[in-house]
Amino acid sequence: MRFQGAAGHSMNRGFFRSGVHIPAGFAVLLLTLAIFSVGFSTPTSPAVFHLVQPKGLDFVLQNSPTSQKYLIETMPGGVALLDYNNDGLLDVFLVNGGHIIPPMAGVENFDRHDRRYWNRLYRQNRDGSFTDVTEQAGLAKAGEGNYGMGVAVGDYDNDGYPDIYVTSYGKNILYHNNGDGTFSDVTEKAGVAGGGWSVSAGFFDYDNDGKLDLFVTRYLDWDPKRSKSCGNGIPAYCPPGEFPAVSNILYHNRGDGTFEDVSVPSGIAAKKGHGLGVAFADYDGDGFTDIFVANDVVEQFLFHNNGNGTFTERALDAGVALTTDGKMISGMGVVFQDYDNDGRPDIIVTELPRQLYTVFHNEGRGIFTERTLETGFGLLSGANSGWGLGLEDFDNDGWKDVFVAQGHVIDNVEKFDSSLRSLEPPLLAMNHHGRFERANAGSDLPVAGRGAAFGDLNNDGWVDVVTTRLGAPPQIFLNNGGKQHWLSITLRGTRSNRDGFGAKVTVNGQMRVATAAGSYLSSNDKRLHFGMGSAQTASIEVLWPSGIHQKLNDVRCDQFLIVKEPEHP
Amino acid sequence: MNCAIMVLCMLAQMSSTGPALSPAAAQHLEAGIAAEKSHQLETAISEFRKAAEAQPDAAPAYLHLGEAYMSNHQYGDAVIPLRRVLELDPDLPSAHLLLGYAQLAQGYAADAIPHLEKVHETGALGIAQMQTGQVSEAVSNLQAAVKQRPNDPDLLYYLIQASEMLAEQSTDTLFTNYPDSNRTHQRRAQNYFALHQAAQAEQEYQRALAISPEVPGLHLELGQVYAETAQWSNAEAQYRIETQLQPGNAQAAYRLGEALLQEGHAKEALQELRRSNDLQPDMPETLYIFGKAAFAADDLDAAQKAWTRVIAIEKESPLAAQAHFGLAGLYRKQNKAAEAASEMQEFWKLEGRNSHTGDGRR
Repeated sequence: MRFQGAAGHSMNRGFFRSGVHIPAGFAVLLLTLAIFSVGFSTPTSPAVFHLVQPKGLDFVLQNSPTSQKYLIETMPGGVALLDYNNDGLLDVFLVNGGHIIPPMAGVENFDRHDRRYWNRLYRQNRDGSFTDVTEQAGLAKAGEGNYGMGVAVGDYDNDGYPDIYVTSYGKNILYHNNGDGTFSDVTEKAGVAGGGWSVSAGFFDYDNDGKLDLFVTRYLDWDPKRSKSCGNGIPAYCPPGEFPAVSNILYHNRGDGTFEDVSVPSGIAAKKGHGLGVAFADYDGDGFTDIFVANDVVEQFLFHNNGNGTFTERALDAGVALTTDGKMISGMGVVFQDYDNDGRPDIIVTELPRQLYTVFHNEGRGIFTERTLETGFGLLSGANSGWGLGLEDFDNDGWKDVFVAQGHVIDNVEKFDSSLRSLEPPLLAMNHHGRFERANAGSDLPVAGRGAAFGDLNNDGWVDVVTTRLGAPPQIFLNNGGKQHWLSITLRGTRSNRDGFGAKVTVNGQMRVATAAGSYLSSNDKRLHFGMGSAQTASIEVLWPSGIHQKLNDVRCDQFLIVKEPEHP
Repeated sequence: MNCAIMVLCMLAQMSSTGPALSPAAAQHLEAGIAAEKSHQLETAISEFRKAAEAQPDAAPAYLHLGEAYMSNHQYGDAVIPLRRVLELDPDLPSAHLLLGYAQLAQGYAADAIPHLEKVHETGALGIAQMQTGQVSEAVSNLQAAVKQRPNDPDLLYYLIQASEMLAEQSTDTLFTNYPDSNRTHQRRAQNYFALHQAAQAEQEYQRALAISPEVPGLHLELGQVYAETAQWSNAEAQYRIETQLQPGNAQAAYRLGEALLQEGHAKEALQELRRSNDLQPDMPETLYIFGKAAFAADDLDAAQKAWTRVIAIEKESPLAAQAHFGLAGLYRKQNKAAEAASEMQEFWKLEGRNSHTGDGRR
């Protein structure tokens, strides 16, 4: 075995002839040493967030870890920030796993009728507390046989109320928001139950017809009968390569409350992988939204939207399939936004230890180059397992920062490698003109972090974070704020989809793609947040999915602005 | 081991020397040889025994009998006739060789050594010496044997084992006789490092450095502890000291370049990597990472040259595949689609080959 250096290259064999003696088999040990210190040092700078435990938010993510190490146990669960009742306050929807009683015999019910295993919707009250409205909203029934995974939010029927799509190992559920504080399970009518092991999902409008379509990633062809343990005598979760790859699902919104599975005709089903995260952006500026799928230890997928209802997978040609060393990555979470304010959406993928969170910089002309080291991620990752992430301007300085929920996929990884930790604190890295540096997230408590959603929970103009933890309540990171200015934009599409998903919004030179998708299993505040630094006014440009180009000048900062799409170009 | 041919040659020589055989002994001997040729070992043994009984002073009969026993894995039975041969002809090389093997096979390494020494059978001798604790002699003899038979996995295995034993013995001596020396701390640090105990390794390196801050290599090794635990700024600091102590050490320059690249300082990394390549040209990994640093620093010409050179040196290795992949990205950036596609084709070709040989990353 050749010793792989942390920068991703092999060691000089010649040097080792006369240098430090590395016994055979030592290479693996050395690699694992790359774990100390990085993820566990706490910067001394002032904390950007503080953790809060809001009254009423009593959710615990029940993943039911067993000695059988069923792979589904370590993968949930999602969180969504949405304003389901349009009262101006973000509410929180949390996806639960389910009850696993080993040994699983095949078809399981996961006890989802039991309150402990429900998904939960928490309505935010004016005082910052939350009320569990799951039952009254009609969301208590998660479906027996569904082990919950993730959540997507979007107004698929353009009625002004956000709808909820929950993914599962089992069947997925589409809840239509009735606009009166209740939801209806419309899965059967809509035809979006999926099946198998669905993970992340997201609403987007791939054909620019003004109706949100739905993309669902799927992880593995797995079932309890084929489950196995991979710890060489110590029970442990298996790597994805132990199970067959599967294809993802694309549903086209017909506009009548039903969807058509177009995975095959669109070309999406032609590629099988181990899909986890998904994010959307028009990376080549052709006016059609493209799809990036974070795949676990196979090539990453970049589905280029051909504009005619079909997609071509172009990750290799675009330079985002593998690392710059031509190596596979364990893609888990993903964000598809512009980190360096050049107006083009870039891609950041979270991964396992011994890999670096990969930054693919959009060079234009439909190609990317990896800039992991140049952006500082050589110092920020390599020791950690990243899941949900966001690229948000937490300090409102005009540069989007990174927050990553972390925790090793193997819950007993210490037994295999004492230098690894199953629980890890989150990573916060502030963006200094395109280079990221570790910052104080306000908590160095090691947790089994998974989902992460981003939004301004308390409407103070500073982006907050909600993360999920296996076997524990969510963590709510409230932003400590500061003196910089900000602008929050809600798009209201007329010709485009009502949420404006897919729009490219540029404010004083900063660009954001309108989307609630990205991260891992989770759905973000659909409002587009811009840190404005010292600027008190803003120039806004919106390129709507309809093709309409809208400009607004001298817009006052520090406000929540609704931008309505002009009816006519 | 390939001793059978040697023994057969010796046996052939033996058959043509010594006292004349009686007709009865000769008849049984020929029958035994014929049976042996047709792999009828039991018959051969029986015939050789009859030959020896027919003529008790016939060394060839005993020698063939011993050899047949050896072929039949009856090492204990082989010893008596082989000893008898040496009573009759004390200097007969084939008898010494066979007896040495027979005794070694039975675990009587000390008894085997004089016989193996007599015929200079360095491989088996090294193994025997290893088993009797003559480790440095064992290493020396096994090295000589490996030189003669470089493709013998058994010999390589025993050489590794003997070398490790020698290192262990030397370490014990170092630790016992010089418990507070810088080298003891250095060696302890290396051991801790191998056991994942980076904190202890760091501590021992610091102790060694406190005693002898200017011993070459210590800062480099400590830097590697930091590097492998992702403490890149600490690693960089140690590598910098090492490069000052040893400005001619290519590895130190390479390591410093690697740390700087990891920290995202591509241009500075490039300088050190260039220096490393000047000091020790054409190290493939130096060239590869040089290419990465150059690419990151937007010096595409330098990156292209470095990666092309890697491919020229490495041809079809995984590193060559990585260089092809790097070039593909470079050509994409230069808007040279055809060249990029060609490099990707080479990348996949090598990836496929390396994955088949178990040397790939997939």
